Amino acid sequence: MTDAAGSHTEQSAPAGRNGQRNAREPRRPIEPIPHDGRPVIEAINISKAFGATTALVDVSLRAYAGRVLALLGDNGAGKSTLIKILSGVFPPDQGDLRFCGKPVRFANPAEARQLGIATVFQDLAVCELLSVTRNVVLGREPMKGVGPFKWLDMKRADEMARSALLQLGVRWERGLDERGVNISGGERQSLAIARAMFFGSTLLILDEPTSALAVRQAGKVLEHILAARDQGQAVILITHNFRHALSVADDLTVLAQGKVAAHFRRDEIEHDELTDLVARIS
Amino acid sequence: MAESKNLAPTEISGSARPGRRAVYGEAARKLLLRPEATSVAALLILFAVFSLLSPDLFPTQQTYISVMAVAAELGIVSIGVTLLMIGGHFDLSVGAVLGLTSYVAIELMRDAHLWPIVAAPAAIAVGAALGAVNGALVVRFRIHSFVVTLGTMLIWRGVVIALTGGFPIMVSIPPLFRDVMSGPLLFGFRLSMVWFFAVGVLGTFVLTRTRFGNWIQARGQNEQAARNLGVPVDAVTIVLFMITSALGALAGVIQVARFASVDALRGEGMELQAVAVTVIGGTLLSGGYGSAIGTMLGAVTFGAIQVGLVLAGAPGHFFRTLTGLIVVAAVILNTSVARRMARSRPLGGFRRGNAETDAALAQGSTIVGSEAAKRGALAAETGSESLG
Repeated sequence: MTDAAGSHTEQSAPAGRNGQRNAREPRRPIEPIPHDGRPVIEAINISKAFGATTALVDVSLRAYAGRVLALLGDNGAGKSTLIKILSGVFPPDQGDLRFCGKPVRFANPAEARQLGIATVFQDLAVCELLSVTRNVVLGREPMKGVGPFKWLDMKRADEMARSALLQLGVRWERGLDERGVNISGGERQSLAIARAMFFGSTLLILDEPTSALAVRQAGKVLEHILAARDQGQAVILITHNFRHALSVADDLTVLAQGKVAAHFRRDEIEHDELTDLVARIS
Repeated sequence: MAESKNLAPTEISGSARPGRRAVYGEAARKLLLRPEATSVAALLILFAVFSLLSPDLFPTQQTYISVMAVAAELGIVSIGVTLLMIGGHFDLSVGAVLGLTSYVAIELMRDAHLWPIVAAPAAIAVGAALGAVNGALVVRFRIHSFVVTLGTMLIWRGVVIALTGGFPIMVSIPPLFRDVMSGPLLFGFRLSMVWFFAVGVLGTFVLTRTRFGNWIQARGQNEQAARNLGVPVDAVTIVLFMITSALGALAGVIQVARFASVDALRGEGMELQAVAVTVIGGTLLSGGYGSAIGTMLGAVTFGAIQVGLVLAGAPGHFFRTLTGLIVVAAVILNTSVARRMARSRPLGGFRRGNAETDAALAQGSTIVGSEAAKRGALAAETGSESLG
């Protein structure tokens, strides 16, 4: 709460007295956000079916640098299918993906990650018995050594972990050798977001990052989302929580039964309208 | 209250180094959290008990030589099994691989008339190939490695029985080869001990200081997270199986050099002994966490039981019973490792610095009384040694 980002906390903490006030008054300006009109990622008429089950029908969506897109919808609306397509877990049956204007097709998640698409899945962010440092550098360990003999550069790994957390404004009170089991759910999300940002993602996809968290921790994670946005990343936030979505999103897309049911800019909608709408269409 | 306020600054500036009790306490805490703690305890207790039971026979050099001879061959197999188990897999076929590769080594020497220096690496390569089959089956069909290797264990054991016809096959081994693999070294210790130590040190290095080691641990703890972060999980799995089987083959070659023969049941039962050794050594059965050093100690424990019971004149079946008891005790102790780690916190003065203190340290600022400076002073004293 003492952080520079404290101004966001008011909005992000959903403990607010009543939702309407929370949604209406301290609204962040939307227009000044740099927005060059070219989306970082664009999904065009994506369809996907699993056997006889249709998961997505003609879904289109755009995520822009420096903006947060909230993806809302009921269970089974197709949210996870959509982000799995965006992060390369499986390809769409029909439709195109464009990354920074160029058509792309991912064979696996590694290809998506190489382009800078970082996905933080709900409970899968942290290895419990690895230290904070090892978790941050996992998969991108810094090495040193002579010729073909290479080993871990733990000192640099510690530095990387420290600067990754610092970049996100996380005050890590404990040692970097703390193991994953000792880290709270909120800290895990922070760690995963810090990791994604540090290794230069251009698109950050977060799957229900706040759903398992206490109010305070959720507030922290929302702050981190705003920090990522302010650094010019495109963010896609999947959430059930309308209040969380409204407190950080610049755009909102509502999915229902595999289709885009509605799309808004943040200033076009209030909390109650959104609740009504989602209740009506899903 | 006032007193503690007065004390605080002196505590920080005067002696940032924590008191002696804290130092010893922290050292003890860290030691107890090590995965090797169980095997060290088991080893010390066993040596004490056996030395009391047979004071003339057990604490002698000849005994230690025998203990290490048993420990070396089993230990080499177990270190592979340990890495694999940390990576979240089992290998029940390693004993059969040992038998089959021993047969291959002997055939290459006896019928193909290859020099041992060619035959031995060839046998180890065959071992690695057999491991690759295990790994490929596990990765391709997503079957639990327990079942896959149960199958390959039966297959390869059947092949060995068929090839040997059930009879021992002898070969003449050049003395130099025998000496290099398992001959007497300094003070009568067998050279297999050197191989054992080399493999143990290498295993520890791989596990703690390489990218591959980090991936092994990540694979054992959270496969999906590792995959999402770009760790080539499937390749890691296959390489792990290859390492395990190659080490099984190395132990097989050492046994061939020692016995100059192979029989149909060579290596049988070793797969489960290796699991027992690994568990005594503090590796979690569920994977993700463990130590090659612990496994080395576990192998020595195993050797001590085997030799010590004979010297104490105990009936043969005691060996299994006692081993079983120690395994169960070790599992009970080790499964609480993760929990103990979750609960325990560093003792006062041993917390490492945070970003803020690092920043303060970088600027060289020592603002007396500020929280950051306090922590910074402590971090400067304690952080440096724990970092090094």
